Amino acid sequence: MSTDNSNTTTQAAQVRSGIDRSLRHPVMFFLTSGAAWLAVSLILGIISSAKMHAPGFLDGYGWLTYGRTQAAHLNALVYGWGFQAAFGVIIWLMARLCRQECKAAGIILTAGHLWNLGVSLGVLGILFGHGTGMPWLEFPVFAWPVLLISYFAIVTWSFVQFKVRPEGHVYISQWYLLAAMIWFPWVYLTANLLLHVFPGHPVMASGIAAWYKSSLIFLFFTPVALATAFYLAPKVTGRPISSYSLAKLGFWSLAVIMPWAGMQKLTGAPIPYFIPYLGAAATILFFIPAFTAAVNILRTAASDMEIVSHSPSLRFTMAGVVGLIVMAVAAVFLNIPEKTLPLTQFSMSGYGFEILALYAFFSFVMFGAIYFIVPRITQREWLSRRLITMHFFFSIYGIVTIALVAIFGGLMQGSGQEQFDQPWQQAAADRAYPYAWATTIAWCFILFSNVFFFLHLTFMWLRLGRRSTHPTLLVSGHGDSPHGEEGDIDNAGTASAH
Amino acid sequence: MSFRIFFFSLSASFGVAWLAIIIVPYLKMRSLEPVMFDEETGTNVVYIAKRAGRIADGSQIYGENGCYLCHTQVVRPTYAGNDLFRPDWGGFIYDDERGDSRRETNAFDFDGESFAHIGVARNGPDLSNIGVRVENEYAKDLSAEQWLYRFLYDSRIDPKRRNSTCPSFRFLFDEEAITGNASDEAVPVITEEGMEILPSAEAKALVSYLLSLKKDQAVPASLDFSPPTEGGSKVSAKTAEAP
Repeated sequence: MSTDNSNTTTQAAQVRSGIDRSLRHPVMFFLTSGAAWLAVSLILGIISSAKMHAPGFLDGYGWLTYGRTQAAHLNALVYGWGFQAAFGVIIWLMARLCRQECKAAGIILTAGHLWNLGVSLGVLGILFGHGTGMPWLEFPVFAWPVLLISYFAIVTWSFVQFKVRPEGHVYISQWYLLAAMIWFPWVYLTANLLLHVFPGHPVMASGIAAWYKSSLIFLFFTPVALATAFYLAPKVTGRPISSYSLAKLGFWSLAVIMPWAGMQKLTGAPIPYFIPYLGAAATILFFIPAFTAAVNILRTAASDMEIVSHSPSLRFTMAGVVGLIVMAVAAVFLNIPEKTLPLTQFSMSGYGFEILALYAFFSFVMFGAIYFIVPRITQREWLSRRLITMHFFFSIYGIVTIALVAIFGGLMQGSGQEQFDQPWQQAAADRAYPYAWATTIAWCFILFSNVFFFLHLTFMWLRLGRRSTHPTLLVSGHGDSPHGEEGDIDNAGTASAH
Repeated sequence: MSFRIFFFSLSASFGVAWLAIIIVPYLKMRSLEPVMFDEETGTNVVYIAKRAGRIADGSQIYGENGCYLCHTQVVRPTYAGNDLFRPDWGGFIYDDERGDSRRETNAFDFDGESFAHIGVARNGPDLSNIGVRVENEYAKDLSAEQWLYRFLYDSRIDPKRRNSTCPSFRFLFDEEAITGNASDEAVPVITEEGMEILPSAEAKALVSYLLSLKKDQAVPASLDFSPPTEGGSKVSAKTAEAP
């Protein structure tokens, strides 16, 4: 009996390490180049944010004007970091869950380079004044076919893996990943065809861009992050997810509700009147898929709080899930028509909400996944728990500041905008000043935290990680050593020695 | 659940929303019905939004430089915000000819543009009516074009606007030596001796576009939701003239 068990365990371990080996190069490529784009985006974000309170800063250069750096900042964050982190996680997670080795690593790697080329030319295009002026779609028109083709070349293999998987149960993460992989090209193709190829009415075009932005958040980044969290929480704690029917409810409520969201950003603009109300209602109802998933994941992880605080992957993932809860509360609070929506429609709350979604929720879960995946595919352990702790806490400080600014600053700015009997400058513009300062400081914190992450990831990429069988946990090991447990260097022994 | 059922359910749940809020409104709005000035008889002329200026390429420069990140171009109805109550955003509260000419944005205001720059934030004021504001209020001793050139060159040059956070668009201007007479288009700012600041083609297109943003034309009664005036009839209906 016991021999059988150990045989199956060994076989499963061999399958897993075969998958990790087959995906080592594409996944590391997406994670490292994504991290590099995150750095670019953060620097551009600090420059843009500084210009909001110090307009003389780097003023007068075309490629550094606010309107271009801010657009480049968001596009680099979305397409450079967000998508590439998502690609790395999608192809790895799908291969692991379908128990299939990747047979197209070369094609994926090539497509990844093509994607990076598209993003690089797109960001440079924005900075040198060839942006389209459509929010989140600012890349010059040539970029979208390049990105779409590379997208298909990257994810098609994950569809194939799902098709040829061994019979049996399909896990909730796979549904989320498949849905995201289907929704994104549908949304992206719709937006680009209706904006660039078959132009319609200019106001409807603006509405489609607003819907695209919302769909990218709710129908791509959200399901990818939820798939990851639903994988990591049970995996790291070693317990099944708390309620599987709740997970299904969360998934289908996301699928049914979220495609309607987004056009509340055009309330009062001349488009059919029902559309902004539907958009506001759907965005408010985001709390249903968000809370069902978040409660489920938190309950799963809460079964072992010690692991949550010790495991870097789980700590980041759980922080991301808390970010999801904050994001859902903000979605309810900021989008009530005729109450808060008039205040937030054109204030910094919009940007703040995007950053909540992209950083507080999505990026934190992605960091969690990276801390989990990279040791497995490089077969090295993270060097230092202190680097991880610094990354965690400064990111938390930064994102909490941005969340506060998003909610309170945006409402203050918005109520100033609505005071029609006061001069514009004093009522609305000056009121944003302290919040702009806070945003700059918050971005500096986040950049500072990520310096540790970039450094750490680079060491891992160079295969300079610890050769040990002990994972790097966030507990002080022997004495003051920041490097996790000592011993077992060069894979000399096994963990059982301790 | 098989992949086939999953794919069908996913397409259905997404497709319904996709059709209802994207495809059908897109097709409907692509060919808007023209609006008549006098609907009761239906015999009058069609309403055409009058705009003059370099709208298409000016709109492109506006987008390329990210103006929409801080400025909006929409005057919301009163249920969606207080934009209409500002005295000069959606028209003018005291218009010389028409009394109160304020109105909300309508679908014809963006004629000639491929993408309506509704905007994402109001770190600066709404620009729906900026053309009229510059001409009637801001440009006192300068032409409207020159006032805008000077503002784009340095928004904080006017002491009253020293807190403005609008960036300088100096890169859209060229500093050139004066040969012969100084140019009429030179931007009224202090420069080195013998030099002048001239707007580039892009600055000219942008300023022409900004000056085309006006809400000073009477609109048909069906597009005008302003409350009746004391006389009982609508202001714009009273004074609307067929073009």
